Amino acid sequence: MRVGLELFNLARAIDARTIFVVGTGRNVGKTTTLCALYEAACDEGASVALASVGGDGEGGREVLTAKPRLWLRPPTVLATARALLPRSPAVQILKLSSLRSPAGGVLYARIQVSGFYELAGPPTASGVREVVEELLTRSQIAIVDGAVDRVAALGGTDGAIVVAGGAAGATTLDESVEEIRALVARLRVPAFDPAAPSIFVDGALTADIAAAYIVRGEASQIVVRDPTQIALSGRPASETLARLKIRCRRPLRVVAATVASIGPERAFEPVAFAKAVAAATRLPTFDVYRSARAA
Amino acid sequence: MNSEPLLDGASAEVLGFDWLAQATKPVSPYGERAFLQLRPFIAGEEAAAQARAERIVDISTELSEQRIEAIRAALTDLPDAASSIARASLGEVLADPSFLELRRFCATVERIEILRGDLVSLPLLMNEAVRVVRDALATGQARDDEFYLADSFSEALASTRAQLGQTQAELDALRGREAQRVARELGREELRGDEFIVMRADLRGALPAGVRVVREAATYFLCALEYNDAVLAALERRDAAADAVADVEERVRAELSSIVRKNAVGLNDAAALVAELDVMVAAARFAQRFACVAAVTSDSAELAFAQARFLPLEVELVAAGRAFTPLDLELDDAAVLTGPNMGGKSVCLLTCGFLALCVAFGLPVPAARARIGLFAQIAWLGMGLEEQIGGLLSSFAREVLALKAILARNSPRLLILVDEFARTTTPHEGKALLIALLARLRERRACGMLATHLEGVAAAAGVRHFAVRGLRGIPSPPATDDIGEALAALAASMDYRIAEVSGDDVSRADAIALTGLLGIDQQFVDAAYRALLQ
Repeated sequence: MRVGLELFNLARAIDARTIFVVGTGRNVGKTTTLCALYEAACDEGASVALASVGGDGEGGREVLTAKPRLWLRPPTVLATARALLPRSPAVQILKLSSLRSPAGGVLYARIQVSGFYELAGPPTASGVREVVEELLTRSQIAIVDGAVDRVAALGGTDGAIVVAGGAAGATTLDESVEEIRALVARLRVPAFDPAAPSIFVDGALTADIAAAYIVRGEASQIVVRDPTQIALSGRPASETLARLKIRCRRPLRVVAATVASIGPERAFEPVAFAKAVAAATRLPTFDVYRSARAA
Repeated sequence: MNSEPLLDGASAEVLGFDWLAQATKPVSPYGERAFLQLRPFIAGEEAAAQARAERIVDISTELSEQRIEAIRAALTDLPDAASSIARASLGEVLADPSFLELRRFCATVERIEILRGDLVSLPLLMNEAVRVVRDALATGQARDDEFYLADSFSEALASTRAQLGQTQAELDALRGREAQRVARELGREELRGDEFIVMRADLRGALPAGVRVVREAATYFLCALEYNDAVLAALERRDAAADAVADVEERVRAELSSIVRKNAVGLNDAAALVAELDVMVAAARFAQRFACVAAVTSDSAELAFAQARFLPLEVELVAAGRAFTPLDLELDDAAVLTGPNMGGKSVCLLTCGFLALCVAFGLPVPAARARIGLFAQIAWLGMGLEEQIGGLLSSFAREVLALKAILARNSPRLLILVDEFARTTTPHEGKALLIALLARLRERRACGMLATHLEGVAAAAGVRHFAVRGLRGIPSPPATDDIGEALAALAASMDYRIAEVSGDDVSRADAIALTGLLGIDQQFVDAAYRALLQ
C-alpha cells in the first residue's frame, strides 16, 4: 500500500487543491504524513507547493532548529521565512511577502535543486489563507503543515484535512484515541439546518458559553461560523459535542486520519492503535510507518 | 511630520494635525522615513516654505490624477533595499532575497522615471549606479520580479550544478534500488521515510539484509534502512558536489555584493530622491484633491485668506451631503470674534490654525488665495481642550494653566486661537480677563483671534472686532425630532461668513431661537423671550 497516494486520492476525490495536515500534538507523525502526501503528489505529476502554519510557541530559535527539514525536489514551491532559507542550494525567489512568520518575514521560492528546506508561515487564519492563495497561483496543489496550537488557521478553508495522532500525544492508548477522536469530532461539526431552531454564536464557542447552554438544557442548534470557532479540546470538547447540537455555517472537510504508534517516550501496539482510531473517528485511518490502512 | 515645537499636543489634536499628516503621507518606506523628518519652517525661511508650496502646486497641476495614482502604486510596491545596500557597503555577502529586493528597487525606480516623464518639478531618479546594479542582477533572469542565482552568472555554476545533479541521480538510484529490494522482500509496494514498522506477524523468516532494527517490541520491529558501502560512497560524492555548488554560489554572491558595494553611494542617492519624490507627490495629491493654492508666505505675523476651508470638517460635511462655507479674513494683530451659537466661530478659529499649519510645513492651503506668516507657535486655548489637561481641575483652572504655559513659552511669533476663554466664570470677570489677555498679546505683537459671547470686549481692549453674520431669519423647527433635519434647517438659515464690524454689535446670540429649533418646547422658548425683555 502507498499511504501517501491513498491520502492524496482522498483529497482529490473531493476536488481539494489544498491539504492541511493537523496533529493532536508534537511528534505524532505530522511531518511524516506530509512527506508521504508530498511524495505521492509529486509522483502523480502534480505541481506542489508547501507551507506551514506558524504556531505561537514556535518563535524561539531552539524550536525553529528542532523543526524537521524536508527533502524537496524541483519545481516545488514553498513558503518559508527569509531567515530559514539555506544559502545553498540556491532557490528561485518568487516573491517577498509582507506577512510575518514566527521566524520572520515570509517569502515564496521555487526549488531548483533537491535539498533540505524548512517551511514557515503566518500564524493567523487570514495570513494562512493569503499564503495558500499565493501558492495556488503557482502550483496545482498546496500542502500545509498545520501547527499544533493553530487549528484556527483552518478557518474558512475548503481544503482537505488530514488529522495526525500518535503515541507522543497522550500517556495511554485510550487517552490518545480519545484525543484524536475529540479533534476529529470538533473539526467535523456538520452544517446547520436552516429550517431548525438555531442560536448563532458570534465568535468563539468557549467553555463558559457551552456550559451555560448545557445548564439550561438548550435543544436548539448552536451555530458557529466554522469548527475552528469551537474553543474547546479534549474531553470538554467531546462532552460539549455530545450534549449540545453544535453545528456550523462552513463545515470543514476532514478526509483521513494517520497514526504514529511510536513516540519518543512510549509506543502502542501499531495494529490495535490504528484500529481503535479508525473505529473512534470513522475515518479512513493509515499507519504511515507501517504503510497500512486500518482494517 | 513633527508638530513640535510649532504645536503642543492638545493644539495639534484640535487643529487637525494628524488629519493633515495622514492626508499628505507618502507610501514608500523611503518616503515614510523622510516624512518623519519633516519639521516646520521657521521665520527667515519664508522663501523656502513658499518655494516648496509652489513646487507642490506645480506638480499637482502638471500631473494628472491618474499619473499621481500610478506613481503612488509603484511607490507602494517599492521594497526597502536600504538595509541590503548598507550591509553590502559594509562588505557583507548578501543573500538572494536581498538581490531580489535590489532588483525590484532598480526596476521600480526605472518605472517611476518613465511615469515621471519630462516633468521638471520632480527629481530625476535614474543614475549610473542603478543601471549597473539593475543590469548585473538581470543576468539569466526569466522574469523582472524574481531572482535566481542562474547558471548564466558563472560557468562554474553550471558545471558544478550538473555534477551535483549527476551525483544526486546516482545516489537516488542506488538508494531507490535498495529500498525497492527491501520493500519487495517485505512484501510491500514501497518504503518511505527514515524509519518504518515491520509487524512480526507479517514477517516470513528474518528481516531482509540491509535493515537495521531501531526498536524491538512483542509484535513489531521499528526498522531503518542501513546503507551499504556503495550508497555511502555515492552519498559522499553527492555531498562533495553539493559543497562545490555552495562554494561557487557564494563566490557569485560575493561578486554581486561587490557590485552593490561599489554602487552604494549612487543607489543611496536614488533612494533619497525617491523619498523626496514620494513626499512631494503625496503633497501634490493633497493639493489636487482639495484644490489648494500656494499662499504668499509673509515675513510678518499675519493671516489673510479668501475662500478658506477647514478640511477635516469639510470632508465630514461633504460625506453628510452638506457643504462648507468658505471664509475670508485678514488678521495681523489680536482681535475679537463674536457671533451666534452654532454660527461657526470655532470653525473660523480652526480654519486660521489649519491654514497657518499648512504654510508652516510648506504645503499649499485650501483657499482661493492667502498671505500667511511663519509662526513659531500656533496655540489653541479654550473649548476642545477640556479633556487634555488633568482631571482634578475645573475647566476654568485647566484653561488658565494652558494659558500660563502658552505665555511662559514666550514664542517670538505666536498665533493664538482662543475659543470662549473664561466662559465658565462670571461675565464681568471673564470680560476683564479677555481684555487683559488682549493687552498682553498686543504687547507681544502676537497674532490672535478671541472668540467670545461677552459684550464690549473689542471696544474695551481697543482691538478689531469680527463677527459671524448669523441667522438670516429664525428657521421653523422640523416636524420631527430628527436632529439632522434641525441642523440642515439651521445651516440653510445661517450665514457663516465673517465680517469686520464696528463698535460692539453683539446684540444677538440667537440662543433662544436655537433652543426652539433643536426641539425644546415652544412654551419654554416663549418664557425665555419674556425673561429677555424684563
